[in-house]
Amino acid sequence: MEDATVEEAEVSGAAEFAPALVAAHPLGHSVAVAVGSELRVFDLKDGSAVSLSDDSGGGSHSDAIRALSFSMNGLLFASAGDDKLVKVWKTDSWCCIQTITSEKRVSAVAISNDGLYVTFADKFGVIWLVNVGQSDGGQGSTDNKPVPIFGHYCSIITSMKFSPDGRFIATADRDFKIRVTLFPKNPLRGAHEIQSFCLGHTEFVSCIAFTCLSQGPSFLLSGGGDSTVRLWDYINGCILDTCQIQDKVGELLEPNETEDSNLAIADICPTNDGSLVAVAIQSLNGVMLLACDFIAKKLSFIKVCLFG
Amino acid sequence: MPLPDEAAGGNSVAMTSGDGANGGGGGGGGGGRGHHQGAGKLPRKRFYRARAHSNPLSDSHFPIPISPDEVDLSQHYPRYFPAGEGESRDGDAAAPRIRFADVGCGFGGLLVGLSTLFPDTLMIGMELRDKVTEYVKERILALRASNSGMYDNISVVRTNSMKYIPNYFRRAQLLKMFFLFPDPHFKEKNHRRRVISMQLLDEYAYVMEVGVIPEELLKADPVVKLLSTATEEADHTIARIFPLQAKAINFQNKRRESEERRTSRTRVSEEV
Repeated sequence: MEDATVEEAEVSGAAEFAPALVAAHPLGHSVAVAVGSELRVFDLKDGSAVSLSDDSGGGSHSDAIRALSFSMNGLLFASAGDDKLVKVWKTDSWCCIQTITSEKRVSAVAISNDGLYVTFADKFGVIWLVNVGQSDGGQGSTDNKPVPIFGHYCSIITSMKFSPDGRFIATADRDFKIRVTLFPKNPLRGAHEIQSFCLGHTEFVSCIAFTCLSQGPSFLLSGGGDSTVRLWDYINGCILDTCQIQDKVGELLEPNETEDSNLAIADICPTNDGSLVAVAIQSLNGVMLLACDFIAKKLSFIKVCLFG
Repeated sequence: MPLPDEAAGGNSVAMTSGDGANGGGGGGGGGGRGHHQGAGKLPRKRFYRARAHSNPLSDSHFPIPISPDEVDLSQHYPRYFPAGEGESRDGDAAAPRIRFADVGCGFGGLLVGLSTLFPDTLMIGMELRDKVTEYVKERILALRASNSGMYDNISVVRTNSMKYIPNYFRRAQLLKMFFLFPDPHFKEKNHRRRVISMQLLDEYAYVMEVGVIPEELLKADPVVKLLSTATEEADHTIARIFPLQAKAINFQNKRRESEERRTSRTRVSEEV
């Protein structure tokens, strides 16, 4: 089974370009890349590019794509961005089955583990939920209107993930907070029960990811603008370990690049078995690997892989 | 008597130096500090006047605790958390915790009133306006100075409670929360400025302890039932989840009203 690694590379040049995004299929079938408004998919099994088709009546994204997400079983894929559209794709045919309109620009998107719901978040911190289950189209338009289920007060949501057992949804925002909320059986009524807040970052939280052994406890990893990667017990909102990236990367960058603002964590991705974590750091032309020890509940530095 | 005054004076000096750091971080509030009274003299509101509204959406310029563990209780309640052993007490499971929160405490009237009614309960007021927070701080210090042994269980913090309540309180820590102000914001575009909203109710529920009010009292209180039928939040929830039912309820109400009007008119005409 392939290790799924996700990196977020900065497009070199002007700051008004959205960063390019990469997402890998959980079973390693394909890789999706979004550059600006263009979405490209590469099929790893065939070794060829995939052409996307659209059944839902809309065109392709017209503005920068800000979020990509595969569902846990790999059957669905969602893309969303500044054009206020959330597109849901089937990954076997790469056909867009649904296009949802959002009121505001979308900053994060996630698909529930059972593939029935897609959640997306906007700049104001509201998380919306829409039903994409296999009900026939004539079921009624009320079923497919996005419904706000909860929100972070006036704070951009940077990352949103479902827990491996599907019981929780974790959301991170730019006000240093991570909120873990119970995802109910009937989420259309709203997700009002908060499990915990994971508080500890001293800057915006840029990315979160759940990690777990095949059988065993699962934890939450997060990376932020304070150049730390943190390991959390998300059930209780306790921090287990903090890994300071600055010292590890310091010698690899030029002296003038080691200001705090340049060492923000851009993205993190654990392997499927949870033993390794890949960390993408702004201004670093490479990927840092950390080891995640579940028994000792610690993160340890392994190495930095530089490109070129 | 000189001795209690000295002790009280010493106390208030220690407090204000801590507060000075807090107030400095908050910026502004120069008017308040310029009129610092001697120990025991209540501050005068006229020197701490501020606009009634402060923007809750703007980014904060005051220090925020990163998590509830970092709230410095020795600054707020020196009698319960002496500054020297602050570190060890904060982690102590048996250490007292803040149990009442007055959101938007204004000039501190409720806190001062509750302090003597619940002398063993720690309470905190949260206020967004800088000058008003300074006033409440001075008021508490003055009360502590002139009433030895009293008012040690109340304090105030300048913060935006709409954004930072989870930073101050752990899960199920509070017994009571008070919101003693009207919060209308009639226009749809201003609804997100409301302190009571569907979004924030999740957070208030998180910090509050469950099961504090016994079931029988909840059933006996007529307001509780009305919360789910006669409030704006209830209307939104019902209309979203049960659109047909909401329309039916509306239709029934309108029908009942028109019938009542008809019967009252006939009654009047009969009397005449």
